[in-house]
Order: sequence, then C-alpha cells, then structure tokens
Amino acid sequence: MGLNYQFVLWNKHKKMYDKIIVLSMLLYLILFAVVTLVFNSETSIETLILRAFGSLAIVLLHIILVIGPLSRLNTNFLPILYNRRHLGVSMFITALIHGGFALIQFHALGNTNVFYSLFTSNLDYNSFTNFPFQVLGFFALLILFAMASTSHDFFLKNLSPTVWKRLHMLVYLAYALIIGHVFLGAFQQETSPFTIGFLSVGFIVVGSLHLISSFREAKIDKSIIDKDAQGWLKVCTIDEIDDDRAKIFTVQNERIAVFKYDGKLSAVHNVCKHQGGPLGEGKIIDGCITCPWHGYQYLPHNGQSPPPFTEKVATYELKLLENIIYINPKAFEEGTEVEPTQIQKT
Amino acid sequence: MKLIIAIFLGVLGIYCAVGVLFGFYFIFFGAEKIDPFMKETKKGVRLLLFPGIVATWPFLIKNVVNPKTK
Ligand code: HEM
Ligand code: FES
Repeated sequence: MGLNYQFVLWNKHKKMYDKIIVLSMLLYLILFAVVTLVFNSETSIETLILRAFGSLAIVLLHIILVIGPLSRLNTNFLPILYNRRHLGVSMFITALIHGGFALIQFHALGNTNVFYSLFTSNLDYNSFTNFPFQVLGFFALLILFAMASTSHDFFLKNLSPTVWKRLHMLVYLAYALIIGHVFLGAFQQETSPFTIGFLSVGFIVVGSLHLISSFREAKIDKSIIDKDAQGWLKVCTIDEIDDDRAKIFTVQNERIAVFKYDGKLSAVHNVCKHQGGPLGEGKIIDGCITCPWHGYQYLPHNGQSPPPFTEKVATYELKLLENIIYINPKAFEEGTEVEPTQIQKT
Repeated sequence: MKLIIAIFLGVLGIYCAVGVLFGFYFIFFGAEKIDPFMKETKKGVRLLLFPGIVATWPFLIKNVVNPKTK
C-alpha cells in the first residue's frame, strides 16, 4: 500500500524473523559439516560445501511449501506466512551457492563454455536412471531465480497479479525437478542418506498437508445456505460473528466477508487487492478492515482504501430479520457505498 | 542433441542479454514509464529490481510502448 515502493518492507517483527532465519541457516551449515566429518572424515571440503548448501536449500523449500497449508489449518502460522518471501529469497541464494559451486567445480575448469559443459558432459538424455541430473537442477534454479527476483511488490503490480501468481505456482515444477535432481544424483553417485530420507518424508508431509487443507476448503465451500423469497441468502445469526471480526461465506462461488463493528454490519468481497489475502480473517482496526497478510486497509461501508490509497473491493448488501443476517448475492461495483446494517439493541 | 542444446543455450543467452539491456534502460530512464510510483521511490530500489527485470522483460516492455497514465 503506498505511493512509492520501499526497499524491503521491514518492521521490528520481520527483522526478528530474518535474524532467526539467518542464524538457523548458519547453525544448520555448521551442524551439517560437523556431523558429516564425524561420520565420514574422508569427505572433501568441496563435496561438503556442495552437500551442505544443496540439502539446506531443500530443507528451506519444504518449509516454504508447508507454510501455506499449515496457516490455513491453524492461524498461528500466519506470521510465518507473511515472512515467506524472505525465506524464498534465502532459499534461492542457498541453491545458487550450491549450483554455482557445482558449475565451477565440475564445468568451469575445461575450455568449453560452462553451461555447454553442464548440458553435454553427460549426454544420456534417453536413459531414465542415468539422465543428466545436474540439468534438472539447472532448470529448477532458473525457476527459483525468476521467483526470487520478482518477489518485490513492484512485480506483483506490473506483471499483473495473474502472471505473477502463475510464475510463482512454478514452485511446484521446481520441486518436482529438484526431487528428480536429488534421486537421480543419488543413483549416479552416492548421496548422503540424510538427504534422501529427508526428501522422502518431506514429500509425504508436503503432499498430505496440501490434500488436507484443500479438503477442508472444499468443505467450507459447500456450506449450504438457505434462500428467502427475494433470493437473499440466509448466512448466520448476529451472535455467530465476534465484534470487529468477520465470518466468511461462499456465495455463488465467491467468498464474502461479513463484518460486525460498532453495532453495524457490512459485507465485502473476501479477496484483498494486494495479494489476495483473506480479508475476513482480518480485524477491524481504526475503523478499517485490515488484511491479515500485509495490512492493507479498506473501509467496511464502501470497500475503499482510505485516501490517498486507491484500492477498492466489491461490496454487498445485507439485511437483518430477527437476528438472522441475509445477504444479497449480487455484488456491487468495487468501491460502491452501502449503508451499513444497524443492529438493534434488544 | 548437441544442436538442440546449442540452440537452447543460444536463445537463453539472447534472452538474458536483451534483459540486461532492458534492465539498464529501466534503471536510467524507463522506470517511471513502467510504473509512475517509481518517481517517488528511492533510486536504490531500482538495483534491487534489476534481476527481476532481466527475468521478466517480455511482460514489462509493453508498458514502455504504452505507458500507464494513472
Ligand atoms: C545449476 C544447477 C545445479 C547443479 C549444477 C547441481 C549440481 C549438483 C551435483 C553435482 C550434486 C551431487 C553432489 C554430490 O553428492 O557429490 C548435487 C546434489 C544435490 N543438489 Fe544440486 N545442482 C544444481 C541445482 C540444485 C538446486 C536448485 C537444488 C535445490 C534447491 C539442489 C539440491 C541438491 C541436493 C539436495 C543434492 C544432494 C546433496 C547430498 O548429496 O546430500 N541442486 N547437485
Ligand atoms: S494480501 Fe497483502 S495486504 Fe492483503
């Protein structure tokens, strides 16, 4: 939200998270080195660097992949979700050190071009088990680069949210490529059993968390809502919504957040204009709906961000009949003023 | 196979080279055309955006031809 861009949106909490990320990464690298040298003292320093950074990159990637579903299942994980971008960039840098080091180590010493050497040193492209696994790592690294380098809000806006979202969905392709990279690598030269074990368990965890959370979402989406004579939909009673909070309903495939504040009710489209955060999981702060993801704000009665900001979300009409809230499923234009529904004191 | 690889790497190289040229154009002239908000943004941010510009220039180049008025 803003008329200019900041270098990085840092605040006290984010700085703390970033410190924790960097310290944990260092700790991991040191532990990895110590454990490897204790169990296999003949490991060369080059192999050690390659493996330490490669395995740290996949550990970070797994954390990134589970945060999404975890924070949908339990809102306590939300703060980590806000910080996912920095984790993503850290992961890319870690993977870049690993890949860059491998390129220098194995491909830069001859007199052919480094990348040409990467693609041609093993030409078994028709084989399954002997497929050049480093090429898979290279493509994964390209995707991670595209994601990390466009993580700034500037790109979200200027590539358009759709393109940006598609680009960032490629993380799953990168994940698949990396799984191929590590398993084929293990097949062709010995890989540490730790990495293979981690990847197998990790795959199961990532897969099942995604399944569970999408199953939950599907259940919310099916919630049946009764209609009244004019086609207004019955959503819930007043007491089911807490003060300064909302409940989210799916109405004709759109999620709508119904807010209760100052003895009034207002409804807006649930999707934040910034990155699609769930507005209905946020709170009313200073009279504004405040997105739980990065704090964009909207006025509940017209869905507009307070000036000088210009974001707008769609609004909906509500009515109250004996403590039961009804909603008109037809959305108004984004930013349309709707008189809030007053709650009578009984 | 070697031919395909050579062509692929050539295309990738050209993509990156154009991206780098466009990236310099962005840093020195084009930033405000692409996004008016860049006017009030500190210059250092442009360096941070540089790698992403190199990666995604085909999506941004149209904004230079037809700059947003808003
Ligand atoms: C240009 C790109 C890349 C190249 C050239 C490359 C090269 C290599 C090589 C040569 C190995 C075998 C190391 C050994 O065990 O001696 C390896 C293993 C590995 N790579 Fe990559 N890699 C690249 C990208 C990536 C990326 C993007 C990731 C993950 C984010 C990754 C994760 C791993 C992992 C986890 C291992 C196994 C480490 C172990 O043995 O414990 N690599 N890579
Ligand atoms: S999604 Fe970023 S503030 Fe709403």
